Amino acid sequence: MLKKFGFGFAAIVLLWLMAPTVSANEPHYTITTDATYAPFTFQDKNSQYVGIEQDMMKAIAKREGFTYTMKPMSFNSAAQLVSNGQADGIIAGMSITPERRQVYDFSTPYYKTGVAWIVKKDSKIKSLEDLKGQTVALKTGTAASEYGLSLQAKYGFKVKYFNDTDTMYNDVAVGNSAATFEDMPVIQYAIKNGMKLKVMNPNQPGNAGSYGFAVEKHKNKALLTAFNRGFAAIKKDGTYDKIVAKYLGASQATFSGTKADNETVFGILKSNQQALVSGLWQTIELTVIAIVLASIWGILLGVMGVSQMAWVRGLSTTIIYIFRGLPLMVLAFFIYIGLPGLTGVKIPAFTAGIVTLILNEGAYTGAFVRGGFEAVDRGQMEAARSLGLPYGKAMRRVIMPQGLRIMVPSFINQFIITLKDTSILSAIGLLELTQTGSLIVARNSQGFRVWAIIAIVYLILITLLTWLSRWVENKMTMQ
Amino acid sequence: MSDAQTKVKVHVENVNKSYGDNHVLRDISLDVSENEVVVMIGPSGSGKSTFLRMLNQLETPDNGTIVVDGFDISDKATDINKVRENIGMVFQNFNLFNNYTVLENIMLAPVELGKLDKAAAEKKARELLATVGLSDKADVSVNSLSGGQKQRIAIARALAMSPDVMLFDEPTSALDPEMVGDVLNVMKNLADSGMTMIIVTHEMGFAKQVADRVVFFESGKIQESGTPEAVFNTPKNARLQEFLSKVMHA
Repeated sequence: MLKKFGFGFAAIVLLWLMAPTVSANEPHYTITTDATYAPFTFQDKNSQYVGIEQDMMKAIAKREGFTYTMKPMSFNSAAQLVSNGQADGIIAGMSITPERRQVYDFSTPYYKTGVAWIVKKDSKIKSLEDLKGQTVALKTGTAASEYGLSLQAKYGFKVKYFNDTDTMYNDVAVGNSAATFEDMPVIQYAIKNGMKLKVMNPNQPGNAGSYGFAVEKHKNKALLTAFNRGFAAIKKDGTYDKIVAKYLGASQATFSGTKADNETVFGILKSNQQALVSGLWQTIELTVIAIVLASIWGILLGVMGVSQMAWVRGLSTTIIYIFRGLPLMVLAFFIYIGLPGLTGVKIPAFTAGIVTLILNEGAYTGAFVRGGFEAVDRGQMEAARSLGLPYGKAMRRVIMPQGLRIMVPSFINQFIITLKDTSILSAIGLLELTQTGSLIVARNSQGFRVWAIIAIVYLILITLLTWLSRWVENKMTMQ
Repeated sequence: MSDAQTKVKVHVENVNKSYGDNHVLRDISLDVSENEVVVMIGPSGSGKSTFLRMLNQLETPDNGTIVVDGFDISDKATDINKVRENIGMVFQNFNLFNNYTVLENIMLAPVELGKLDKAAAEKKARELLATVGLSDKADVSVNSLSGGQKQRIAIARALAMSPDVMLFDEPTSALDPEMVGDVLNVMKNLADSGMTMIIVTHEMGFAKQVADRVVFFESGKIQESGTPEAVFNTPKNARLQEFLSKVMHA
């Protein structure tokens, strides 16, 4: 009965997860971006994605008559999703380089840029030579980091990698890293908006180049043509200049909210209420669905693990071994970015996240479920079998109820781990609580206050989950 | 025994069993007739429990033939679950189902296997509880019972399936001495009612009193068997003599 219900439920949830978003007659594209990249793309105080690139994209799409879904994530993931055909285009401050031209087709350049090298505001470092033996923060997969790396041998510094711009800035601002490399307009905007850093080469940017919109090589020609035509038009009629002026000329408060909004915990909570609630909801949604489905999958693996048939036991052991051995983030990247590259079937990030959690948490669950069944005294099975009960009936009526009772504390523990593990899915761009925190910090640079808020929200969630589990446990043992 | 034709209930022929190098049963052959009570005695590790557990296939023999109730259980094609429905077993450690009450323990198998409907199974369970003298314990959790009570419930649970043969694997070995009598009484009544019983025990007094035949196991072999008088009063086998001298004067 439980099994039937479980499979039915799983099927419904999976169907719902797979259901494609219905599109209109206009061409519809999926475009990836990096939302920690002000002034080009970032989240404003109303949780909207704004910036030079976002306004440009909007203007071009309107003019060219197409619609799109904008997917914010780390630059690295954003670029990979386009290169393997999961997304149609990327607009994320992507410098046009010869290496990237092997993989992508670029639009006409939309912004001239170059690489700055940056230190803490009151740093004693005067020249690149001073970086010898120091740590330099770089963002994975960016042209600025390539430039930084090209100087590594000459100046003898160590390198530390980050996935988003803001964490990287803060690492330098608090003194963990001595310097960083970043695109000139991006760092200048950040400094203007209060980031306590200084640019060491404002007049000699390294590797001067340009940003371009990119699609997978030889694919999506229509989109690229539309972008180029639209971009030429908005450049000609002055829309482009207005957009650039709007972001570079504006004060911080325009997009990030007032000082009061950003420099008190209450202000941050109030001005980011919407974003925090939706991030919290996404985390809860991921957790609840993953807990239910991973438990069903885990119990199935556990039952298989005590099967009478050796090959079924072997299958269970192998599945548990593989998915317990893979780091959650590797599994998430493999499912979200790796698999579609092979099969050509797109997987929505939410589905990929849920599948990741089911496989990983399910493997841990399977291991303790099997252990719980094995912990039931052998004599119980012998007594049941001696009465003539077949193996399956003996398992269901005698072994499983006792085993499940033994496992209750392990289940509660696994639920809490699942809740915490949802944060790792921020890596594939899921806008759950952790990713929400990253975006807010990217805008207001209030690392301490924002992460304290996020941490407390997690603790509250975990406390509630623990209470709920204990309550269920008491109900069960009272029966 | 009545003058009805003697019917063989359990037929064992040339059974061997080894665990690695340890040859625990060597060419065992034994027939048990309907209504007969056979008690198996012998030192620990002599193979008597292993032998008993083969009769309902909790252990499988390496070779040889075992026929119970007319079913050849050494044949893989035999549905062992069907055969087990007619063979009750009582364990040293009771093995009552911890997740059920006393009544539910007794009702589980008949209801699950479709032998009785719920009402009939409950009626029968209450009758059996009365037989073993534990009517007042019907609705308690099995963990609240003493060892002697647990073992009497275990006997009732086995009897709920109306078996033709009952196997007892050292049913009193895990009991406090003052509990042993109650359990043996239940077993004696069962023997008197004509149940075919095969019992592994160290209770020599009980064996003398109840057994139709006593079988002495040693080193994986049946060394001697016969009536209780013959085995206990005039043992011929040297090892049996030695065993008896130890247990009778302990």
